[in-house]
Amino acid sequence: MLQEAQGAVSGIGGADLVLAAKYLAAGLCMGIGAIGPAIGEGLAASHALDGMARQPEMESSLMRTMILGQAITETTGIYSLLIAIVLLFVV
Amino acid sequence: MKPIFDQLAGLLVHLGEKRIAVLHLGGYELRFDWYILIMSWIVIGLIIGVALWLRRGLRQPVEEKPNRTQAALESLMGLLKTQLADSFASEQLALTMFPLVSAIFLYVLFSNCLSVIPYMVSPTQDLNVTLGLALLVFVISQVLAIRNKGFKKYVRSFADPIPVMMPINVIGELAKPLSHAFRLFGNVLAGTILVTVVMVKFAPIILPPVLNIFFGLFFGGIQAFVFAILAVAYINVAVE
Repeated sequence: MLQEAQGAVSGIGGADLVLAAKYLAAGLCMGIGAIGPAIGEGLAASHALDGMARQPEMESSLMRTMILGQAITETTGIYSLLIAIVLLFVV
Repeated sequence: MKPIFDQLAGLLVHLGEKRIAVLHLGGYELRFDWYILIMSWIVIGLIIGVALWLRRGLRQPVEEKPNRTQAALESLMGLLKTQLADSFASEQLALTMFPLVSAIFLYVLFSNCLSVIPYMVSPTQDLNVTLGLALLVFVISQVLAIRNKGFKKYVRSFADPIPVMMPINVIGELAKPLSHAFRLFGNVLAGTILVTVVMVKFAPIILPPVLNIFFGLFFGGIQAFVFAILAVAYINVAVE
């Protein structure tokens, strides 16, 4: 019983700590990193919709530019996904 | 998760251990990933095969009505010319760069769509492939800039607006191929990992092919177009 109490007091350490920190870091990284691109792409889509409502004949050109802009805005979200994957599988 | 990927390594998605081919040159050795190399050759063979196969339908005298093959290929050429090549600054640059940009676009498009076929893997899933393409575009843009502007003006272009900004401008110039490569690599790898995880953990029956079509074909096509458009933009900015 004394050993159990000692184990409970000394806490977690070594490989278990690295594992726990790894999972926590990967979750936080992807979670916080998903906020920015979502807001940015929503803004781009809303302004494209404004333009399409104002001039319906430019619809295809506006849609193409919107998709292009959103694909570039997604880049930083992909960066954080990459770091999360590296944290989970490589470290 | 590693044992699961090793199980699937022979089946559908190669995410397990890499088989490395080593090429010894003098004192150095070059390492290639066998699987990605063979998939890249398959993509090249597929593009050449499709081109040669479509070419048979083009043997026609000019005054007849164009058949379906000719109409389709003309619309493809129109798409490549108006979307990609006409964004260049000068007409002569557009004519010179048209084969390069079309080749990059077709290679990335075919290799992103290759993962739909079973036992096949996209070559762009590997960072080496995308980094190679991005470095190709980077070197071409810098060489064209030096050739068009002259070396002194090229170096001085890093120093505006203030010479103190030179490190920031250099880092910004070096970050372009990195982001170029990582965008394509991250998108294709994320789609592959998502489909693999869904297949292993959640729903092996109906969901994985649907997800594969959405993430592989749709996003892959968009990312191929974005890669080519950004290549055009980088070459344009460096030359102007």
